[in-house]
Amino acid sequence: MQPVISVKNLTQRYPGGRLIYENLSFDVPQGRILGLLGKNGTGKTTTINILMGYLKPLAGECRIFGQDITSLTPATRARIALLIEGHVQYAFMTISQIERFYSKFYPKWNRDAYYELMSRLKVTPNQKISSMSCGQRSQVALGLILAQNADLLVLDDFSLGLDPGYRRLFVDYLKEYVSAEDKTVFMTSHIIQDMERLIDDCIILDYGKILTQKPVAELMSTFHCYHLEDGSRPVPGSTPLVDSKEIINPSMLGSTLEFFSFTPKEEIAQILKAKHLNPSELKEIPMTLEDAFIGLTGKY
Amino acid sequence: MTQAILYKEWLKTRKAFWVSLAAALMLAAYACLAIQRIVVGKGVEHVWLIMLLKDQTFLDILKYVPLAIGVALGVAQMAPEMSHKRLKLTLHLPYPTNRLILWMILLGVIELSIIWAFTAGAVAIYQSTILPHELVSRCFITSLPWYLAGYIAYLFTASVCLEGRWAMRIIIALVAMGIACVLFMQPAPEAYWGAMGALILLVIILLALPYRSVYRFKEGLQD
Repeated sequence: MQPVISVKNLTQRYPGGRLIYENLSFDVPQGRILGLLGKNGTGKTTTINILMGYLKPLAGECRIFGQDITSLTPATRARIALLIEGHVQYAFMTISQIERFYSKFYPKWNRDAYYELMSRLKVTPNQKISSMSCGQRSQVALGLILAQNADLLVLDDFSLGLDPGYRRLFVDYLKEYVSAEDKTVFMTSHIIQDMERLIDDCIILDYGKILTQKPVAELMSTFHCYHLEDGSRPVPGSTPLVDSKEIINPSMLGSTLEFFSFTPKEEIAQILKAKHLNPSELKEIPMTLEDAFIGLTGKY
Repeated sequence: MTQAILYKEWLKTRKAFWVSLAAALMLAAYACLAIQRIVVGKGVEHVWLIMLLKDQTFLDILKYVPLAIGVALGVAQMAPEMSHKRLKLTLHLPYPTNRLILWMILLGVIELSIIWAFTAGAVAIYQSTILPHELVSRCFITSLPWYLAGYIAYLFTASVCLEGRWAMRIIIALVAMGIACVLFMQPAPEAYWGAMGALILLVIILLALPYRSVYRFKEGLQD
């Protein structure tokens, strides 16, 4: 089946000249929720800007629903719901005006979905969006996305500026909606905890490249965090473990060496033995997606 | 959909529209009252004489009003699009981009035309009660470049607001100031009558300016 989003060999630079990424390629299959994770400046928003046609890439090809993104037809755009970073909406409109405005553009518009969400906010239909809190604005943006009933949802840093309550509300609503309607979602967020509750697949970006791209369940079952209790180990830069390609981002936590790896514990134990270290001190530590993200990208 | 686009543009501009219309009408009334004062004090013949011998129109107070209104309406309409880059929302609407921009600009042009029609109409109606047709038409022709300057100011302001790069904004603003200076250089009545065709053509050409800014935005040319 044709992927909903297809990105091939995308290359982009910042205006100053720094390479954001080179030959970035990925697909988002139908019905999947894909999270694009990365530190600040790795190109998450840039990727969304390119996909939505607000930025011309240096090289590469992007297709959405099989159409080149440089020439998306209005009918295809109607199938894509877009959440701009910071839940930006037309702040000069009121809750009812914005619903009336958008409803004219989308054939599958679901007015009830919007007003059902709005009824939970302590706002009046004539309240201007500009006078709302960031959390309330996020709900307006979400309500519009739900009402649009699009096939693809593109959400750029949906958790930006939201307190934990609103973040949870946003995630819960979105999760229920997406799973019930078999929607495809492409999203970014710098709060990995929120993503963990939502996404099926993840792409983890580092500066200039993709570190990993796989289903979250697969990542969590194949990527491991290890602690090696050994106070006599020297600082990470001089530990012989750093020489091993299997060892990712080693660091000292007090007297404990922490490192990450895609290699199972038994094989790591063999590597330790070969380096004259005691594998009985090796412990595998349970991880969240955020831990895995830090493990892959490093703390700095 | 077109109706919805016009609705959105109206929501942004309605305050600026009503305030501009009220201000323009008040200033037009003030200009008419000034003429009326002379009529009452020295007789209508005196007004005719000054108009003919001293090349006066008594409308100088209205000279820069369309220019100011053009800028105000352009800012009211386009600044919200660029605040937090809301233009992305507009460009994502399932509607042909060129037509979308056209309707946005047309609404601004229509609103300005309404303000001009009421202002120029009010002045002309008053003047026709005291002046011969030739003098009324002379005053109208004299004020035409001011109204054209209003359209030009609107289109340049829209373009500056929609432009994503500050350096280009400054260049566009400087070009706008240059053109505006040319339009206000000759104070004599009917001075621009011979160039009116060229000025109207210039306004039509300048309709493309906001398109250019939007397409630059879409290319990613933003600070």
